[in-house]
Amino acid sequence: MSQTIPGQTIPGQTIPTMIINGITVDDTFAEAFGMSGTGIIITADTMKWARIAAVTATGFGTSVIGCGAECGIDRELSTDETPDGRPGVRVLMFGFSPDALIPQVKNRIGQCVLTSPGSACYAGLEAPMKIGLGKAPRFFGDGFQTAKKLGDSRYWRVPVMDGEFVIEETTSVTTDAVGGGNLLIVGTDRAGVLETTEAAVDAIAKINDVITPFPGGIVRSGSKVGTKYKGMFASTNDAYCPTLRGATKSELAAGTLTVLEIVIDGLTSKVVADAMRVGLKAVTGIGANKGVTRVTAGNYGGKLGQHHYHLKDLI
Amino acid sequence: MSGLTFRLKAPASERLDISSLSPAKLAKLSGHEIASIKVGMSKHALSVGDAFDISGTAGDTLTIEGPGDVSGAALDFAGAGLDSGTLLIVGHVGSQAARKMTGGTLEIRGNAGNSLASGMSGGFIHVSGSAGDNIGGVLPGDRFGMSGGTIVIEGNIGARAGDKMRRGTIIIRGKTGEGSGTRMMGGTIWAEGGFGPLPGLMMRRGTLIGSKVDRLLPTFVDCGNHDLVIVQILSRHLKATLGDLAPKPMPLFVQKIAGDMATIGKGEILLPAA
Repeated sequence: MSQTIPGQTIPGQTIPTMIINGITVDDTFAEAFGMSGTGIIITADTMKWARIAAVTATGFGTSVIGCGAECGIDRELSTDETPDGRPGVRVLMFGFSPDALIPQVKNRIGQCVLTSPGSACYAGLEAPMKIGLGKAPRFFGDGFQTAKKLGDSRYWRVPVMDGEFVIEETTSVTTDAVGGGNLLIVGTDRAGVLETTEAAVDAIAKINDVITPFPGGIVRSGSKVGTKYKGMFASTNDAYCPTLRGATKSELAAGTLTVLEIVIDGLTSKVVADAMRVGLKAVTGIGANKGVTRVTAGNYGGKLGQHHYHLKDLI
Repeated sequence: MSGLTFRLKAPASERLDISSLSPAKLAKLSGHEIASIKVGMSKHALSVGDAFDISGTAGDTLTIEGPGDVSGAALDFAGAGLDSGTLLIVGHVGSQAARKMTGGTLEIRGNAGNSLASGMSGGFIHVSGSAGDNIGGVLPGDRFGMSGGTIVIEGNIGARAGDKMRRGTIIIRGKTGEGSGTRMMGGTIWAEGGFGPLPGLMMRRGTLIGSKVDRLLPTFVDCGNHDLVIVQILSRHLKATLGDLAPKPMPLFVQKIAGDMATIGKGEILLPAA
């Protein structure tokens, strides 16, 4: 059950809001940016080892600013969905540009997938623009590597100590990807808000072509652009820090104890919107009994990001 | 399926070069122009109108019906240079069918002669019978043999298949003659009935897969039994692209025999693990 309350006052701003199951949903928008994205399929003898390789390859991939790429697991693949008929995982990597993704793919696959027992690696996206996948890691074969071209794909076979590491020569990259879709979940109970946010992340995980790159899909250190210190680009979002509520220009109501953020990257704008929609639905579906009081979204006034996702359009 | 049908009027009195008969080429010509195409190889060469009864209208498919006996082997260069559409030959064909073919489909409901698919770089060939020597191989003046595309031969083939082959796949339901994969540089030859003697002479790269080998060269070395991911990829790729024409998958473990160690030795013969 929902009701719209025009003009309800949130500290620091006056915006119309909607209340669903006791949770206030701000009439605001998430501001997201165009990115380049690629998909990679990682297989292994078992799903356990496919996941291990995928988790390792996507580690330290939370923010493109500090990590070079935003990475995560899109979904698990059945044996019918992989080129070699083994269990697999599709991972997505996002960067500022196709050129910026090249070293990220090379290093992550070379250090984390090539090294993982029984692994193999294939293109996980079909698009006109290609970037190297096995182009660099194949040289680990020291001249013993061989190639097999089947259809339009070339597979490299690199001898390793447990057999052969098979890796497709290229994968595709799209410049239609979007990074930075987001939801901010605000509440008065840290455990309850975390549990509710986890449910939203689980719901988003069911959407194909998107990832939530932060730990467990959740960010507790939302940032603002700029800082008082030289050499830094971003700093803590003090307006959403509960412990600064009386000391800064806070956006939080009295009693707020915690704010958690879900950041969403997707291969298209549509899937980011879909992911935000199911995430928002999961939160409002649980309702206020877990201590969630409000859902909002992060933006920079609409002047920086090309993609705006209005929460009222996602309900 | 619509298109022109050429029916051979009588056993040809001379060898016929039918390389100019492709769906795309004929679609641009009038009936009179088609009938006047020279196909004979003698001084007084036969034209299409002399040699064939023509029916139907131009389309994506061209059907050429031979007499079905050995005299059909007088049709040379069937599908040479084919780049699109389907060429269906009902009966046998002579030498150099699909010479430098780049695309489309060549269906031969009979046997094929020597040098089928020499210099082929794309497309698909299905031969319901057997084929001669030098399938997918190199001809004098060429630098490489087959460099792409897929061939499925339901019967047996002759000697030196894949000579200087670079890419592509040849599948033989039966057995090969001597010296398959000679000077091979890449690609795959899959002989479900096994390989004749001495495959892979001076082979540099590429894969020969089969049920058995009559006799190995002394310059091929046993690398042991392995469960190779690439064999699973190959099987799944062929199943996806060929459907029922794909070869039966190999067992999980195959014996890898590397060679020719007289060259760089990066080729391989894969047999079911003993």
